[in-house]
Amino acid sequence: MNFFTIVLRGLWRRPVRTALTLVGISIGIAAVVALVGMASGYEKSVVKQLDVIGIDVIVSNMEGGMMPKVFDVELQSRVSENPKVEKATTVLMQMLMVEDAPMMMVSGREWKGFTWDQLQVVEGRMPKDENEKAVVIGILAAEVLGKKVGDKVQIEIDEFEVVGIVDGQSVVENGAIILALKQFQIVTGYEGKANFLDIKVTSETTDDQIDELCEEIEEVFPEGRAVKASDVVGTSQGFRIARAMSWSTSLLAIIVGVLGVMNTMLMTVFERTHEIGILLALGWKRRMIVFLVFCESAILGLTGGILGVILGGVTLKILEATPTIRGLLEPDFSASLVFRAIAIAVIVGVISGLYPAWKSSRMTPSVALQS
Amino acid sequence: MSEQPANSNDPDPVFEAIDLKKEFDEGNVKALRGVNFKIDPGEFVSIVGPSGSGKTTLLHMLGSLDLPSSGELKFKGTNLPDLPDYADYRAREVGFIFQSFHLLPTFTIRENVQIPTFGLPGSARERKARAVELLNAVGLSHRLDHLPSKLSGGERQRAAIARSMVNNPGVLLADEPTGNLDTENAAQIMELLDLLQEEHKTTLILVTHDMDVASHASREIRMLDGKIASDSSKIPKPQSS
Repeated sequence: MNFFTIVLRGLWRRPVRTALTLVGISIGIAAVVALVGMASGYEKSVVKQLDVIGIDVIVSNMEGGMMPKVFDVELQSRVSENPKVEKATTVLMQMLMVEDAPMMMVSGREWKGFTWDQLQVVEGRMPKDENEKAVVIGILAAEVLGKKVGDKVQIEIDEFEVVGIVDGQSVVENGAIILALKQFQIVTGYEGKANFLDIKVTSETTDDQIDELCEEIEEVFPEGRAVKASDVVGTSQGFRIARAMSWSTSLLAIIVGVLGVMNTMLMTVFERTHEIGILLALGWKRRMIVFLVFCESAILGLTGGILGVILGGVTLKILEATPTIRGLLEPDFSASLVFRAIAIAVIVGVISGLYPAWKSSRMTPSVALQS
Repeated sequence: MSEQPANSNDPDPVFEAIDLKKEFDEGNVKALRGVNFKIDPGEFVSIVGPSGSGKTTLLHMLGSLDLPSSGELKFKGTNLPDLPDYADYRAREVGFIFQSFHLLPTFTIRENVQIPTFGLPGSARERKARAVELLNAVGLSHRLDHLPSKLSGGERQRAAIARSMVNNPGVLLADEPTGNLDTENAAQIMELLDLLQEEHKTTLILVTHDMDVASHASREIRMLDGKIASDSSKIPKPQSS
């Protein structure tokens, strides 16, 4: 028998209560994993998409909220004059309800623009030209919509033929419906407009020069913002909101967890006043008893954390498969998230043990023995 | 077994109480009202008296489970409240035996006996070996891995006695050790205590109501209303203030 045996035996005294506390912590931690995993997965998916397409700078006017405001496509020719710009292409992107799918990214891309380049046709073909009333859909979008080549898909009030299914090599691209900008402008009524200008810089452009380029673009397009692809996640209002929401909800879950563990440990200490009195009478030092309470509390946190991570991982898998999420993002279930979640749980355990441990250290042995 | 203690000039009594007082409830309850005694190494002392006479309070103070309100209580010449580490004192110098055994219910008998060894030097293997040795000595070798709830009262008290001796203390403090036992088991426990006391020359201080139990001791301190009513030893007592 070692000290650890005594700690475990203490938790095992009330298996139902210990189990319920663990359920409480693990649900809290699962919420952290699921929410943060979704938010961070969203960010990573977008970063990956930009990377795959080869976008270095994105120009948009984010005043509109989650989706940027439209601007005149004529901006493209002005920006293209900049010698650092190798290619610039306009995109009109909207999140729309498409048939049964609750939210789907529909991306109207300038015909012949470089954003078409990385799309690999898995089945069927690309649209013949920008005048063809046709779309290609990503492999995930095809699954979600249940479409195959030759089917029709309704976007807003118009019907388009699915001429191809494409692999865009990122979850965001694969979950999208892609069509010629001109066609999408007609459907949405935004003729001559776009809401993104994607830029690829020349190969000799350095990172600092990209920053300069961003400033130069903002001079010709003062109401908009030019953001380096690598900074999109950090500067975007939408991502910030998503991150803040996921962490604040997580914080609530953590607080509930702390209260749960603290309640359990306080009950344990009160219930075991007599036992603590015995230990003191047998020569246990107060700090050993404090450490005992701490260890029990930390183990509750650790075990709850591990269970919570498993539960959170399963939740993410389930969420990933739901029609709302599928194709929009790839949840992040990284080692760093797992580590952070477990660390949070242990900290929850330790913090929750502070007051009960202090309580236990204040007992007079003779009084504790008589309780 | 010790003889009657030597004279009051003996420099090294195990315990010496000088005008020892203990009050509870902000002085409303006076549990000890000026107690004086000396106990020498190896003595077997019974403390008797009616309920509320202060016997258990005195025993708790000898074990540093509670501190005096005033007066002095010396252990080998050091005033107990001045000890740097009460836990160390309780772990190394004294062993407790309680009326209700106070075994921890979720630990086996062997584990219970090992509990006081935590925090002291020694490997897990040594601790275990010591526990087994003591449990063999008290006749519980067949009960090592049983939980306390599976044992009879007599067996539980034997286990508690083994536990009290695990760190080889010089003093055993027993609070009504036979109070929860039938006559036969009580007699066996007293036989065991007699034997251990003789064998280890331990100072044994035993609180009891039972005059049969008290008769095992070589000295009897009778308490009444927080004072010593009689002490069968011949120690001349210092004046109470």
